[in-house]
Amino acid sequence: MQSMLGKAANTDWFGPLVVVIAAVVVIGAIEPTFLSAFNIQVLLSAIAVNLVIALAQMIIIAIGQMNLSVGAIGGLVAIAFAGMMEVWGIPAPLALVLALAIGLAGGLANGFIVAKTGISAFIITLASLSFFKGLNLGITEAQPFYGVPDAVKAFGNTNMIGPIPWLVLPAAIAGLGIWYLLAKLRIGRQILAVGGNPHAAELSGISIFQTTVWAHGLSGLLAALGGVMVVARLQIGQPSIGDDWLILSFAAPVIGGAVLAGGHVSVAGTALGVVVVAIITQSLVLFHIDPFVVQVVLGALILWAVGINRWREVRVERRLRGAS
Amino acid sequence: MSEVVLQARAIGKSFPGVRALDKVDLTLAKGSIHALLGENGAGKSTLIKLLTGVHRLEEGELLLDGKSVQFDDPHAAIAAGIGVVHQERNLIPRFSVAENIMLERLGPSVLSRVDQATLRAEAKRWLDLLELDVNPATPVMRLSAAKMQLVEIAKALSLRSRVLLMDEPTASLTPHETEHLFTLLQRLKRDGVTIVFVSHKLEEVLQICDSVTVLRDGRNACQSQPMTGMGRQDLVRLMIGRAEQIPAWETRDRTTAPVALQLDKVSTSLGHQDIDLTLHRGEILGLYGLVGAGRSELAKCLIGLFPLTGGKVTIDGQPAAIGSVAEALNRFGLGYVSEDRKQEGLVLAHSVLDNAGIAVWSKLAGFLGFLKNGQIRERVLPAIERLEVKTPSLAQQVGLLSGGNQQKVSVAKWLAAGVRILIIDEPSVGIDIKTKAYLHELIRALADDGTSVLLITSDMPEMITLADRIAVMDGYRLTGTLVNDRDYPRMSQGIMNLIHGEEQDAA
Repeated sequence: MQSMLGKAANTDWFGPLVVVIAAVVVIGAIEPTFLSAFNIQVLLSAIAVNLVIALAQMIIIAIGQMNLSVGAIGGLVAIAFAGMMEVWGIPAPLALVLALAIGLAGGLANGFIVAKTGISAFIITLASLSFFKGLNLGITEAQPFYGVPDAVKAFGNTNMIGPIPWLVLPAAIAGLGIWYLLAKLRIGRQILAVGGNPHAAELSGISIFQTTVWAHGLSGLLAALGGVMVVARLQIGQPSIGDDWLILSFAAPVIGGAVLAGGHVSVAGTALGVVVVAIITQSLVLFHIDPFVVQVVLGALILWAVGINRWREVRVERRLRGAS
Repeated sequence: MSEVVLQARAIGKSFPGVRALDKVDLTLAKGSIHALLGENGAGKSTLIKLLTGVHRLEEGELLLDGKSVQFDDPHAAIAAGIGVVHQERNLIPRFSVAENIMLERLGPSVLSRVDQATLRAEAKRWLDLLELDVNPATPVMRLSAAKMQLVEIAKALSLRSRVLLMDEPTASLTPHETEHLFTLLQRLKRDGVTIVFVSHKLEEVLQICDSVTVLRDGRNACQSQPMTGMGRQDLVRLMIGRAEQIPAWETRDRTTAPVALQLDKVSTSLGHQDIDLTLHRGEILGLYGLVGAGRSELAKCLIGLFPLTGGKVTIDGQPAAIGSVAEALNRFGLGYVSEDRKQEGLVLAHSVLDNAGIAVWSKLAGFLGFLKNGQIRERVLPAIERLEVKTPSLAQQVGLLSGGNQQKVSVAKWLAAGVRILIIDEPSVGIDIKTKAYLHELIRALADDGTSVLLITSDMPEMITLADRIAVMDGYRLTGTLVNDRDYPRMSQGIMNLIHGEEQDAA
């Protein structure tokens, strides 16, 4: 029998959790302001937004594909959300519903085209990235929308309880929702089944078409939620929102143990992956390190994470061979 | 004849370059076990895929209870009561046994909550029926090949199909597990279920089947005949159009020739233990075993794809530490013809020249890596001509050639590269009978000219036709070596004894 620790070490969340705890302890000891209420609030805001973005990618990784258009959808939704409120004076709740509908529609379109044509999602979403970004720039002419209502600004910049910002609420709902969907609902099991072995899933009567469209629809919806949250946080509808989401959206799920070939993802792991990235980014700021280094560190982190995942796979394979 | 459940009339199917099925008929009676036989490539799997909605039916007609039906996808066939155990494993590796068994019944709508406890309880019933002692919560990736196969059977049974098609269900089962499965199939039959049983183990077919349909080269060699009065030789004659015959070649003894390849207590990272093997110059050494015995895996270790963990390999008397496929080829003249032509052997979208020349590129590449097609052609052409590859030109796309010619190209690749030791894995999978006989002569001729061949095949007649000696592998170990005297009944019995020896003692 393996010890409790041995079992925990085989889970997806154990590695990132150790990194998070170690980082908090070390950085907190060197720089006590790291644990100040203000800094925790800043950290949590970043984590909340990035978690939603990472989940938008994670659901597509689960089905064994990639969605390059997560940021473009988020950006288009962001300017649409702000624009509808500024130009047409639509009340915020209605603008929110319409904005989410735009993201959902974008995702469904991705899924429909991928499933119908059989062309790889990489290419389809590369094309739709360009399409959505073009719409974005065409509408805004690269100028931000400034007319964001105060209620929305407040939601993105005030706290719910103690140092916990309101933004954590939608992120937590999204995280729990996606976890429940993947673990408990038929559609979630279908998504993982198709990611794990599409051929077998199809022969079992699972509709690849339906499953693919669902996954991309959810991805679009989450990307839209991310876009809206960024607008609330930045207090403007900036056309460049979403431009820098791509690396993070892959990094967090992969750090959290997701298998890029599909069939296996972890919401808890992805959330911890987001936390790792946020802490590293934040501490580089605290220690006055050139922000451009963040990209380098993020790249190294992705390599490290896929290396760990690969090593775990090889170990499992060895053990299986030895047992048979 | 009793009530007909499913009838196929004049079914045809073409793939690019191949006529897979031509006017095939099949009539299945209620409550019977029906054998579907044919050699590799005869069209059995294609027919099964047409009956179960994997391929769309475009020619011919399918009648269920006398009514014409059309299955657009596998789901439609399952809904109509037609279940199937495909030849390839079709499980989701990370999902539990229970979830795999119940995969198409996770809930009424996509947003239904999946009740794992109910799934496990339901799955347990079917596992118990098969006396399969696994926890339904175990992920299938942790199971052995035999248990995975039983899980697939449990899955098909759980659909409570009226027609159950089983494509080689016993391939990785022990005799004991097979017996148990047969008892179960007899019971299903009494309950009115129709079973279509595909197997190349004719003894099993004769034991449990009531009627038989044989396909040969995509056509009916016989259509739904009663099994009574049929013997093994009758079935074989129907399958290959003549009685089973081992060509009357003389036996060869190369054990006095110099040793080309020697394994001394080799163990590998894939789990092989204590493998001792000697291959002489010009010898054909057969490596027989059931699916999952570790033969192809041993080949892959030898050519440097996976590391060895112990023992010694000597080639032409020199100790050989092979670290990569390139080294195996360039330093030791060792080549491997994969059993999986389409995935591992050939680049289907490329030309014959590119495929046959791929192994000589590194030798011919000039300054800055330039390759001259003329030079490659010079090296490749003799091999292509020698193997009589039928292709309109060297520029022809390999994917458009027939299976037999594709296989010749994958052998030609290594001949062009000048290998002295060739490992050939399942050379005649998906190849028609005439090409197969011809391929056998070629392999024999290669050996006569001094190439040492390690032959891996699950096709017993092929093994006894070609091999000089036969080593038998089971569970990643060698269980014995026989000198082939070309007497089919005696050799096949001897080989099966070496595989099943322990299990029969234990049973």
